[in-house]
Amino acid sequence: MTSVQPKLSTDARSANDPVFIGVGEIPSGRYPNRTFIGDLVEVASRALADSGLHHDEIDTILLIPCLHSFSDQADLIFSRLVEELGLSKAAKSNFMVHSGGSTSDNAVRIAAGLIASGHARNVLVLQAERWGSADLTEMVTMLTMNGIPKEWEQPSGITFNAIGALITQRYMAESGSTPEDMASVCVAFRKWANLNPNAMYRDKTLTIEEILASKLVSDPIRAKECPMLADGAAAFVMTAAENAKRKSDSWVRIAGSGGCVSHYSLGQEIEAGKLGWKIAADRAYEHSSWGAKDADFAQIYDSYAAVTTIGAEGLGLCPPGEAARWFRSGATSPGGAFPMNTNGGLLSAGHTGVGGGLALLIEGVRQLLGRAEKPRQIEQARRGIIGGSGGSYMDAQVLLLERIEKGDVQ
Amino acid sequence: MSDIVKTFQSGLADGKLLIQSCNACKNKMLYPRHRCTKCHANDLGWVEASGKGTLHSYTVVRAIPPAGFEGELPYGLGIVKLEEGVQLMARLKPGASGDWSQYACDAAVAFARPSPGPGDDRAVAWFKLA
Repeated sequence: MTSVQPKLSTDARSANDPVFIGVGEIPSGRYPNRTFIGDLVEVASRALADSGLHHDEIDTILLIPCLHSFSDQADLIFSRLVEELGLSKAAKSNFMVHSGGSTSDNAVRIAAGLIASGHARNVLVLQAERWGSADLTEMVTMLTMNGIPKEWEQPSGITFNAIGALITQRYMAESGSTPEDMASVCVAFRKWANLNPNAMYRDKTLTIEEILASKLVSDPIRAKECPMLADGAAAFVMTAAENAKRKSDSWVRIAGSGGCVSHYSLGQEIEAGKLGWKIAADRAYEHSSWGAKDADFAQIYDSYAAVTTIGAEGLGLCPPGEAARWFRSGATSPGGAFPMNTNGGLLSAGHTGVGGGLALLIEGVRQLLGRAEKPRQIEQARRGIIGGSGGSYMDAQVLLLERIEKGDVQ
Repeated sequence: MSDIVKTFQSGLADGKLLIQSCNACKNKMLYPRHRCTKCHANDLGWVEASGKGTLHSYTVVRAIPPAGFEGELPYGLGIVKLEEGVQLMARLKPGASGDWSQYACDAAVAFARPSPGPGDDRAVAWFKLA
């Protein structure tokens, strides 16, 4: 594990430093009357307006896949959005990147590489999912039949809730966290969702008692600790710092990133209570000029509470074994010392498939741009940590993002 | 079906848990692989597991099972670390109390015959508390 990390090829003063300049999102939940392509066009339009770019300035479309329909995904790959957005002949490249829940983190790396190396000027990254309107049984079966080894693990009857439960059980055994402690993580996310107009559960409160009174789905996880499948869509725009300067007084750059792919099947993860988070975090901190103590907030993948507590500990945001109790203390809730998952996370904003990680990412960018709705905006947010995970928690992906003021780099 | 899958699954059908062993470097592998994960040799053989291990984590599936598993609810699942240094996803037999309440992380477990009933012929390893 002692491999030397490559260094970033740009810094905050580089003309070609890849930066975020705009985000777009629509509400998550159940919206049977919205359409897949309509949602994509809407978030693309919102992200472009937020970035100050005209649509024909986009030369690269980077697609994040949907999981509800292979046919809809094929439309994306075959450049339907180039037509829909009026970019025929203007677009240089349209393609998809995919690593499940961590796709958005890898999409950032790809977009950044294209911009820094001069292969792209302005990259639009977007995603939509129709999970909330899809047939639940069909989606659960699809998730069980794909990505879980058919030769070795499907015959056991494993489910995605069981995968979350196995991680949670191990985390609780190692940390001594109680069911109340774990439930409090979901409650902390719900408090943020209540401040987010795009969150699926923006209008519904949640208590520890309600969670513990809901039925066991896969021990120790109860029904109200499972993510709800949702419709949703989100987009962001990246460009080079020299372009950002012409449009805006501030933008968000990538101070560094780290990742660790630890397994394919959860049956092969040697530390189900730790996963790859500490390795990914150490690599990210080594890659950048700052670390955990310098961050103002974090947005960490949360398809189950333990995924986030394990991530928070691996990232060094709290002492090892203490994350669930740290959440229960209110430290990460609105008004707390260290805000986390300020959009409500997948658990309360809605699980939009591969988009759950994207929603956390763009919430982080939005906070750093100072564009979150008032009660949710973190004051003086300058540095944020984004954490993603895909597959059966096969990887831990860490992005360290920082706000840049034009005056600081001229 | 590939030979490694066939050999592993027919081992289970015969009541044996087979671990792959690299004839070049003696590396032990489970799940079976197409080449040695340490030295990348393709001269691979098999050894029978002792069947002794510890439970890394476990759960009891009580709702929303995959299609075809509805008649088996509730059922126990766990990640078992074998003393040979390899690990796998397994089904867990109910304990003496008739449920899984006696299981715990790091409990000693042993390879076992499946609990008779629906699904007992599936190609999955079963374990019980040791």
